[in-house]
Amino acid sequence: MKISLKSRIVSALAVTALAGTVVVGAPTAANAAPQCATASFVTQCGGVGADGAPYAFIAAANFNGTVFLYSHGVRPAIDIPATLAPVGPYTKTNAAEPGPLAASDMSVINKLVAAGYGVAGSGFSRQGVNATEALAANKELIATFKTKFPTTKTVIAWGESLGAMHSQMLAEKNPELVDGVILACPAANPQDALIAYFGDALWGFKALFDPSIKVGGYSTDAATRQGEQLANIGKVLTVLGKLSAGLSSGAWPDTASPAGKALQAAGIPSRSALLLVGSMAGIPTRSKHVDGTSGPAGAAETYPLAVAPAVAILENMGTVGVAGSLLIADGELLTGGKVFDNSKTDYAARVASDRDIYSFAFSGNSAVDAMLGALAATPRETADAAAVAKIPGLIGLKGTIAKPTVIMAAESDEYTPASIAQWYIDGYDAQFAAAKDAAIAAAKSSRSYQAPVNKLVMLWAKTAPKYSKFTAAGSPDLGATIGAGTGHCNYTSAQYIAAAKMVAGAVNTGKFPNQGPIVTAAKKVGLSYDKKFRVPTFKSLA
Amino acid sequence: MTRTNRRKLALTSAVLAVAAMTASSLPAQAASDPGLTTTTIKLGITVPLTGIASPGYNKIPGAMKAYFDYVNANGGVNGRKITLVIKDDQYIPTTAVAKANELILKDKVFALVGTLGTASTKAISASTQLAKRGIPSLFVNTGFSGFADKKAYPTTFSILPSYQMEAKIMGKFLKDKYADKKLALIYQDDDFGRDALAGFKQAGITFGTYIPYASGSQSLPATGAGWISKLKASGAEVTVLFGVSSASTAALANAYAAQFKTQWVLGSVGGDATTIAATNKAYVPLLFGAKGFSFAPAPTDATDEYIKLFQSIYATAQPTQTFDNNVVAGMSNAFLAVQALQATGSNLTRAGLIKAIETKGASFASPFLTPLGYSATAHIGATGYWVGTYGPTGALTPDGGKYTVYTTDSGTGPVVLSTYTRPAMPAKGL
Repeated sequence: MKISLKSRIVSALAVTALAGTVVVGAPTAANAAPQCATASFVTQCGGVGADGAPYAFIAAANFNGTVFLYSHGVRPAIDIPATLAPVGPYTKTNAAEPGPLAASDMSVINKLVAAGYGVAGSGFSRQGVNATEALAANKELIATFKTKFPTTKTVIAWGESLGAMHSQMLAEKNPELVDGVILACPAANPQDALIAYFGDALWGFKALFDPSIKVGGYSTDAATRQGEQLANIGKVLTVLGKLSAGLSSGAWPDTASPAGKALQAAGIPSRSALLLVGSMAGIPTRSKHVDGTSGPAGAAETYPLAVAPAVAILENMGTVGVAGSLLIADGELLTGGKVFDNSKTDYAARVASDRDIYSFAFSGNSAVDAMLGALAATPRETADAAAVAKIPGLIGLKGTIAKPTVIMAAESDEYTPASIAQWYIDGYDAQFAAAKDAAIAAAKSSRSYQAPVNKLVMLWAKTAPKYSKFTAAGSPDLGATIGAGTGHCNYTSAQYIAAAKMVAGAVNTGKFPNQGPIVTAAKKVGLSYDKKFRVPTFKSLA
Repeated sequence: MTRTNRRKLALTSAVLAVAAMTASSLPAQAASDPGLTTTTIKLGITVPLTGIASPGYNKIPGAMKAYFDYVNANGGVNGRKITLVIKDDQYIPTTAVAKANELILKDKVFALVGTLGTASTKAISASTQLAKRGIPSLFVNTGFSGFADKKAYPTTFSILPSYQMEAKIMGKFLKDKYADKKLALIYQDDDFGRDALAGFKQAGITFGTYIPYASGSQSLPATGAGWISKLKASGAEVTVLFGVSSASTAALANAYAAQFKTQWVLGSVGGDATTIAATNKAYVPLLFGAKGFSFAPAPTDATDEYIKLFQSIYATAQPTQTFDNNVVAGMSNAFLAVQALQATGSNLTRAGLIKAIETKGASFASPFLTPLGYSATAHIGATGYWVGTYGPTGALTPDGGKYTVYTTDSGTGPVVLSTYTRPAMPAKGL
């Protein structure tokens, strides 16, 4: 049988074989050899790593030597009850995920396996902030995969959200194990900017809408800490509900702080204060259903100026407030102390550039001055120096790009802001410029100029100018299709496959193609490759 | 291979290597800046063509294009013809950013010109990172003093006098004319109004009543009525309105409805009769007797050579449109843009354009009745105002029958009577 015919048979059958979720009887003993089953030329394996984390990997008979090692995104480290809908019900899980979208859609895995690639992924032994555990699990999984498939030559590390941090960390700490990288909606914490993002938002809510909201200082007792996190999520959701109800009237939540109530008495609507919190933290003013430029019938011209920015913050804060509560608590657990510090933050400077842009929504300069003044009534948070010192060791990244890397980021991602992608881009621009200078200097003595090869392709999911839909009542239709370039990790299987092909090709040939083919490939799947496109940097780093 | 051949080969290789290194290490000067060909220059503008701020301002791009077409018909600028890509931002800053991105990334314009509104200009500058990318933003249609600050906005150039300048000059006028009157101030509660407050403070003016309004809120029916209630309660005899034309409309109309009489003093931005007429022609007579400020010749001044030329050009290009302040603003903007492009020379680059305005801009020909303030450290355009009174048809004519111009700066400098004599217009306005 010719190889090409066999490949076609394998391709056809592999798709059928993986129609369902990856299910292989996994051994329960850590470090035991994986249990594998082969059907229709496709081998699926499952096992438990040395740390007890389940893993899974798949490759077909036409395996070409390249495996995609996937790191899943953050999962809460605690169970969340149904009473905290829509966040709950959630039961903590460490299920293995060998590829993106695997929990609901096997098409990415199917296509890769059918094309001859291997896929692998661990569930990780710890959920929440787990970069240390993920690094160990990924290194072990690579070795395990190579043992089972000794023809493995190439490893491409990819991940989404916190999983992208794991992939980048693997590439930075163990470059000998990784040949290519894909970072989807990446999480990173340059100079504690991501901690500040979540912390500033929660602190703003505490200062204005509910003084009992926690920003940090969670209990060291596990059960108490879990209760505190759940309570905090509940409070954030409750405040958001009241802010939503008061959008038109400007009514403040009854839980508002004394400073907040004074602002209400002064006639400042709650939506202006909500926008202030968003501006302080740098939360995008476009969200999944609010484009900031459209308005309902009868208010098409005033709604975008007066209301839309606050509504977008409202929608985005649902993610920011919940994620912030979980991640800051987990961070404190890992470092042994408080990790968020705003004792020196100049919030007036943070909102300076937004004051005029959103003047109507802020209710004018005088209102901004009054709201900033009101913040002074709430004590600032001070982090524990020893805890902060541990953060780089836990989740620190340099951002260096040493292997062909594709980054996918959404312009208005409220969870892992686009500023993170911009941080990677700016860092790589400097890295590439330095490489070019070094090459020129080297050529002076060697008389042979070796131009540095571009190793980074940035694919943007850009927002469209208008995408909001409104109900008959004039509210944003939250059931409508979400806008492109918004939300967190909303990538299609086609987009993941395009990124995979791009990196696999670059690893194979030693470089990415020229701009034209990348632009075409990106456009085909609804992404944009534009080296001139920029997004703002983190507010805390500006 | 002979020894000679090996040496030749080695030398050839060395030459080729050095050539490759040199070619690769050169900055990309061989490629021109976007928006340029040997025969064209592409400029872009984003402005409210629709939306709450569009009445009046939506005439600016058409007026600019009329002047550019006139220049093109007369040979262009150093052999290049100017095209203007026009986008509608509806006065929404988020939309302005999207439109500016389209102009820069899709339309690949050489420079932005005439962006309108403080908020939109700020949003564009921040989000599209004009400074970092070296993209000129020429002659923005806003008087916010910050845009003249080269450090903060290195590639942005103002054209209007700053609002601080205007408020200082207005302050002198108030002191000279209404020293013993009860003063009130309605102002836009953002950088526009903040500049005015700083200028009035410099001028030593204190108002008995301050009425701030959030930009956009003037379109709500209750807003203007609320202002008049406060003015009535305060007994204001002279009311300064430092806001946009739709705010003037709201104030005048509600004052008329309430039969509240006060001496209105309108800032240059808000005293535009055409914009007010676009809302309701019946409001125009309400301007009658109000004081206004301008730095350009009045659009009805048939004796002014710039006005005559602009009227002629516009009548040909837009025969059904009224010639008014907005047309003068648009054509002046385009005129100055052409001056800047010409001064840069045939080897046109973005960096060269910025440098040309900084080094030669103060001596550019312009229709304005004040000197231009461009320099290597300040990106300020016009620098003064004359005072006039609105007639029954909304035309603003200078008090005393002649243009008495006062100039100042955006800082602590005094307000002085200008001795500036505007140079003769270049032949045919080219």
